Amino acid sequence: MTPPAPRHERGLVRPYVVTDGRAHPTRNTFDLVTLVLAQYDRPLTGLSPEKRRLMELCLGGPLSVAEIAGHLMLPVSVTKVLLGDLVDSGHLITRAPIPSAQLPEAQILQEVLDGLRARL
Amino acid sequence: MSHHIPDAVTWCLAAALIAVAVLLVRQRGIAAALRLRAATLEEGQRARDTELGHLTAVRLPAVTASMNQPVPLPGLLDEQLAGTVFAHGLQSVMDTFTQAVDKAQARADQSAKAALKASMRALQGLAHEQQLAISDMQDRHDNPDVLRDLLQIDHANSQFGRRAQAIAVLCGSWPGRQRAASPLTDVVRGATSRIRDYRRVQVHSQADLAVVSRAVEPVVLAVAELLDNAARHSQPNTTVEVGLQPVHNGACIVIDDAGVGMDGQEIQRAGALLTGRATVDVSRLGDPPQFGFPVIGVLAARYGFSVSVDTRSPYGGVRAVLFLPSTLLTQIDIDGPDTTPLRPQAEQGHGRGHGRGREQGHRREHGRGQGRGHEADRPAATHPPAQAPVPDFPDFPDARNFPAAPDFPAAPDSPAASGFPATQAGHAAPSGSHAAPSDTPGTAGPVPGSVGSTAGGLPKRRRRQPAAGGSHRGRPAPLPAETPAPGTGGTGAGERTAEETARRMGAFARGTRAGRTPAAGTPIGPLQGTPAHEAPPGAPGTPAPVDDEGNPPA
Repeated sequence: MTPPAPRHERGLVRPYVVTDGRAHPTRNTFDLVTLVLAQYDRPLTGLSPEKRRLMELCLGGPLSVAEIAGHLMLPVSVTKVLLGDLVDSGHLITRAPIPSAQLPEAQILQEVLDGLRARL
Repeated sequence: MSHHIPDAVTWCLAAALIAVAVLLVRQRGIAAALRLRAATLEEGQRARDTELGHLTAVRLPAVTASMNQPVPLPGLLDEQLAGTVFAHGLQSVMDTFTQAVDKAQARADQSAKAALKASMRALQGLAHEQQLAISDMQDRHDNPDVLRDLLQIDHANSQFGRRAQAIAVLCGSWPGRQRAASPLTDVVRGATSRIRDYRRVQVHSQADLAVVSRAVEPVVLAVAELLDNAARHSQPNTTVEVGLQPVHNGACIVIDDAGVGMDGQEIQRAGALLTGRATVDVSRLGDPPQFGFPVIGVLAARYGFSVSVDTRSPYGGVRAVLFLPSTLLTQIDIDGPDTTPLRPQAEQGHGRGHGRGREQGHRREHGRGQGRGHEADRPAATHPPAQAPVPDFPDFPDARNFPAAPDFPAAPDSPAASGFPATQAGHAAPSGSHAAPSDTPGTAGPVPGSVGSTAGGLPKRRRRQPAAGGSHRGRPAPLPAETPAPGTGGTGAGERTAEETARRMGAFARGTRAGRTPAAGTPIGPLQGTPAHEAPPGAPGTPAPVDDEGNPPA
């Protein structure tokens, strides 16, 4: 719970060991808000500790990539490499994020605001 | 009478002659003895000169040379001198000289160690600083190409830090960083992080044991040196196998390589170094200096673990076994709140309680997924991952049946569903792109019990529970049960039901649409009129835009 604790722990196992030296995820489909869902029937044996932790995290329900990275205390790009592996091995499936709708233009909003104010 | 005189003279002469002869003979004998003595003394003198020459030419240089490698010192050249005063004198010269050399050596060694230690500490600090910078960069940049470069830099920096650390330890420094108690697996992988050929190291078994906080860094350093030796002395296409074995009195880290192995003499020497009893002289480490075993020996003696090296490896190389006694081990309970050490006295080590506290928080976050400690650490990166009561394992079947973003379908069962999603998403988006789905009223609005705010003032989001939309799956949802759900509209901005929020948002959406249509045709006149009959009666018209800005944080 103390703020420096994650920092200390993070320094121990470096990210290149976590990803086995890879920096490019096997697939380029991850976004910060991509939702990741665990497949329940896959065995966790043979996974590296980080992947196992990731799976345990995801077994609790769908999570976004950013949240997973935060929980694992790993950089997002490293998390993506792990996620790519787990999706390849069938442990995870991904779901695209909910697309954000078109923003109304500022001018229209301004007009609405003006209209509402005028109505008052 | 006269003839008596020559007779007497003759007798006198004869006597004198005899006396002279006797004297002569005696003199000759004395002269011979003297000559002999002179010769002996001359020879003795020559022997002493030679001995003195031997002292300056051979014996004293041998003392000087024996600083680098201990060899038996040469003795007297002429054994006949043994036991003489002269020999004693020579011996005392030797002793004085040896003492002087030892003292000078010790002083030189001490100052060399002090200088090396100071400079290595500085380098260590720099390496650590750089590592933090690299970690920050890894967090900041989400680009595989950048990450690849950063990983390379990180790797080089870790090795650099380990070298500096090893030399500093050998010179009497402490290993440096204080870490939280860490699982044995992490300790071994941490050690793997610091060697060049980290990809050849394979850690097989996983033990549930953890290393107490004060021993983490020394063990990491010792294992790193062993792994580095193993990887360095074996072919690049072989692997280095690491096994973790809990044993009765502690745990063992077994490192096997398939390398060239060591001969008997090397093993003997390594064994002597690994005990850590012999004082290590930084100037006698050979060229290039071999720090590995001396460093491990120093650490093992200081922290109470032991390392042995032999040729029993099944792969034909060297097998190194690092034994950690129970006092250096602890157990991290993944689900429980407490970490109990194996022995009570292990806890009395310095700084243990602190480390355990941290560790405990850390593990709980990982084990159960309720990480609240992270927000403080990375508020910018993962905006609000905070959730309070996490869906526990009994809930996963629901999560599974209802996979994607369960809250989104749940929200639009409000009366004003038509314009809702677009406006909603548009409204939520500015609060941070990746946090957008989390700010919807489906989560922020109707769950007043769980929503708080972080220390930084950011809203906390409850982890999305499938139960929120459970109404159309037939399962009785726990979540609505605990919400107040007045249905009549919230009293303040803080407690507002989903319907209320949706109604307001719907009103806002209608206002937007109404504002958009007349904007094309007539200027301002109809704009004033349109919301008047489109907006639902009562509150939503005016407070909505103002209030909604304050709403998500509430």
